[in-house]
Amino acid sequence: MLKQASTVGARNGRPRTISAGQQALKWISPAGIVLIFVFGYSLISLFTQSFRYDGKWVAFENFTLVLTDPLFQTALKHNFYLLFTVPVMVFLAFLLAVTLFETRRGMSFYRAAVFLPYVLPIPVVAVVFGQIYQLRGALNIFLTAIGLDGFAQDWLGEPKIALGTMASVILWKEVGFGVILLLAHIISLPSEVFEASRIDGAGFFRVHWSITRPQIMNTIVFFSVIEAITMVSWVFNYVYVMSNGLGGPGDSTLVSELYIYRSAFSNKAPELAAAAAVCLFLCTLLLVVAFFRIQRRSISGTFGR
Amino acid sequence: MSITRSGIHGSLLGGASRYLLLTFMAATALIPGYIMFVGAFKTQADFLNSPYGIPASLSFGGFRSAWTDKFPQWLINSFVITTGSVVVSVFIASLAAWGFAHFPFKGRETVLGVTVSLMVVPPVVLLIPLFQVGVHLGLISTLRLVIIIYVGLMLPFSIYMLTNYFKSIPNSILESASVDGASPLRIFSSIVIPLSGAPLITLGVVNLLWAWNELLLALVFLQSNEKRTLMVGITGFQSRYSLDIPTVMAGMSIATLPLVVAYLFGQRFFIAGLTAGSVKGE
Amino acid sequence: MNSRKNFIIGTAVLALLLTACSSSSKDVSTAKKITFPTEDLTLNISWWGEQEAPGATKWLEETMALYHKEHPNVTMKQVLQTTEGLVPAFEAAAAAGAGPDIQYFWGGIYAQQPGWDGHIAPISDYLDAEELSHYINAGVEEGYQGKIWTAPWYVNPSFPLLVRKDILEKNGLTTPANWDELMKVCDVLSKKKITTIAGGVKDGWFGGWIYSILGGQSVQSQKDVINAVVGNTSFTDPEHAGWWVKLAESKTHKCWNDDINSLELYQAQQRFVDGKAAMTITAGPDAPNFAKKAGGDSNVTIMAMPAWSDGPMAGKMGTTSQTLGITKWSKYPQVAADFIKFGHTAERLNAWYKLTGSMPADDRFDLTQVESQSTKALFESAISGAPYLENFIPAQLDAEAVFKNVQLILKGSVTPEAAAADMQAQMERLRKTDRKLVDNFTAWSK
Repeated sequence: MLKQASTVGARNGRPRTISAGQQALKWISPAGIVLIFVFGYSLISLFTQSFRYDGKWVAFENFTLVLTDPLFQTALKHNFYLLFTVPVMVFLAFLLAVTLFETRRGMSFYRAAVFLPYVLPIPVVAVVFGQIYQLRGALNIFLTAIGLDGFAQDWLGEPKIALGTMASVILWKEVGFGVILLLAHIISLPSEVFEASRIDGAGFFRVHWSITRPQIMNTIVFFSVIEAITMVSWVFNYVYVMSNGLGGPGDSTLVSELYIYRSAFSNKAPELAAAAAVCLFLCTLLLVVAFFRIQRRSISGTFGR
Repeated sequence: MSITRSGIHGSLLGGASRYLLLTFMAATALIPGYIMFVGAFKTQADFLNSPYGIPASLSFGGFRSAWTDKFPQWLINSFVITTGSVVVSVFIASLAAWGFAHFPFKGRETVLGVTVSLMVVPPVVLLIPLFQVGVHLGLISTLRLVIIIYVGLMLPFSIYMLTNYFKSIPNSILESASVDGASPLRIFSSIVIPLSGAPLITLGVVNLLWAWNELLLALVFLQSNEKRTLMVGITGFQSRYSLDIPTVMAGMSIATLPLVVAYLFGQRFFIAGLTAGSVKGE
Repeated sequence: MNSRKNFIIGTAVLALLLTACSSSSKDVSTAKKITFPTEDLTLNISWWGEQEAPGATKWLEETMALYHKEHPNVTMKQVLQTTEGLVPAFEAAAAAGAGPDIQYFWGGIYAQQPGWDGHIAPISDYLDAEELSHYINAGVEEGYQGKIWTAPWYVNPSFPLLVRKDILEKNGLTTPANWDELMKVCDVLSKKKITTIAGGVKDGWFGGWIYSILGGQSVQSQKDVINAVVGNTSFTDPEHAGWWVKLAESKTHKCWNDDINSLELYQAQQRFVDGKAAMTITAGPDAPNFAKKAGGDSNVTIMAMPAWSDGPMAGKMGTTSQTLGITKWSKYPQVAADFIKFGHTAERLNAWYKLTGSMPADDRFDLTQVESQSTKALFESAISGAPYLENFIPAQLDAEAVFKNVQLILKGSVTPEAAAADMQAQMERLRKTDRKLVDNFTAWSK
């Protein structure tokens, strides 16, 4: 397949030398225009609004109100807890990806099955899991049937565990995405990688953990970043439909996005929503920057130029 | 095909236990889909009595109330929005990603960083300002506006993913082409794109699912009945005081079916795309 | 203070006289006809309510068609919003200053707030006082300093307790006449593993209902609640906090289904229909349907929540109306108002009852056509019912203090004292974050 490279362009001479910046601009500008259209005005108006109340400049008053709100603190804390789902999800995705890679018979069936949750619309997921996790729902019926009634819980009704239940649903739905991403990368790896280890006689999982994992590290990091961002800024749909827009029971599943949404729409406090959104934006930005640092350190030399 | 998958079987995690794991995961993944599908054929009373069993008698009431006169229109709207936004987003994201990956211009990391960081903006906070822009341009309740917004929201992720991928294409391939005198456009269209089947298809699928299932923006920006998307139309069956589960399930089944069918039929293509990427990393 | 009050009353009286004169004079009403636009125009209606009053869509379509026949230059379009979409869509439209001409609002604070925010034009600017005086609950819920923001559309008797006689009789019980009798019923039924009252608080709303029907019993009127909102009294005072104790008592007596926290209200109500629970509480417009499904008048009693206190509202059915308002940006507010009025003509009122089985918000509705005695009694109670408390506290307090603490009390996670203290703490915070709240509520209660 490498021969493609040599068949391309038999002309002599290099292209005109234009600065890399100008060249890049041509490629990037279509995306740039759309991004500025969608985010430009919105973000500016968001930032200005966060410093105003009723059209008047109020400096940091909105921020003080938001940051001292126990509800917003709770919401941020819950987003932080949800981040702990990410390593579990990444590990599970990796385990499933290598297992699928090693499976010949029925691979396409299993792969389709594992990917299915990612296909289902979130409202369906909410309605179905709402049923399964009820006090008299499928899960507790199942647990009772196999003699584990001690583990039966009011999964969505008990404030202490509701966030964990929510996390399990997010995990269930998002893990398929990771499996597909990682599997795509593993399949694209050269086979020699695995042949060498077969000669060593290394165990199945050890081979993949010590040999495959470093090879696909950039995809693992990519998936981790995406999921970390999901846990902080894109869980709205899950929480909204699973808790009927309340973040309940009590405020046990309240997250920042829901706080922002409620401030803007139910509570008619767009200035507080803006201030909270700015805080959330800065938090996530911090997270992403930290991740990029780690990514550059861990994969430089493995991939890229 | 350069893949050999023999040889690592039979050791620590034996074949049987691997299948056990896969079967367990597959079952976990399939059960909710099953509940949705059989739920669609029940009556409300049946569903509340036995939500999980096979329906005693098939009821099409859920489908009947889900399939309103606007349903075909909603389906078309969803189809137009999804296709439009996926095609546009993947196309311009791949251009931009190539721009980022191939040209080491000054400030590249910063621009890329800012672009990617837009991913962290929750769509919720964009609703009101974007609506103001939409009204200003007279584009409320048009599919065009929703497509542009979807493209904008999908771009940061798409650019990040593709840049990551393009960067991992070995230099040696690209350099030999440059030596042969190919222009960046030529290299892009005849080397990079053919090598990137897997990420492009994966990205297409991810964007497709997101656009098809998106709810919040569609709710607010498509105000007329004729312009609604399928997901919005169906969520309308849910309510403040009542929840007609079979109707919701039936609607959801119909809404999910195109995706599942597309996925099953597209699998071969999908696999081809995945394995086409196998040359990279060499 | 006094002179200001006098001034307001004076202005209000003057305004009333003026409108009364203008509506009685034929010349003026023909003048109105002349100002009615003749060019082609489109009115958009954004609404909700099909879920609690099934048949409403059909009624609206019919009404629009009939109106178009009378005014061929007026084309009407309606969009039924989802529960999720109703408020965001309106808020986005308001922020942009463009959108529907007629918008649906729940009663009380849900109609007041958009008025305070300047998003709606008062209906009283376009309909005369005599006409509006027939609209049930308009004054109490939508009135603000002599204005009326929105026009009641249909009534929500709020919220009836539905009792199955068959289950009570089988267990040697009778319909409870007061709170203590209800607790005794709970004791007996819970020993036999029968749910007394089926409920679900996962979706929250039911918490607000419970607040209204229990909390309403210890206050004198809705003004007491507004006093606590603005800070003259506290939500920890006995008149405002007593109901938390009663709610906790109902949990101790095992009145509710044990999975109340993981069920949505409607799922729970179904158990009443299925004969698995002796009682339930339903939305007012839906109560006749539920009663019919569970055996009709011979088997189901529709009643107000048994009294636990001797307050003036104890044991009395509450009432609230769902309303339609005219948006500030509508180019044809007078046409919008005329359409709303058209919906209150006798023929349209009767059609509403026929299509939805519920009560239109108009005291001119002819009650003799209602056959079921229990439904008739329900409708009658809604004409002069007790104010519905949930509509007189900030929506945010409702969701973040009431919904939340009802969930926690029913789970046994907090004490009644802690719930009341939390509600008071949230109210105090809210007065800080919503910097106009005190002024608005104070003006409203005047």
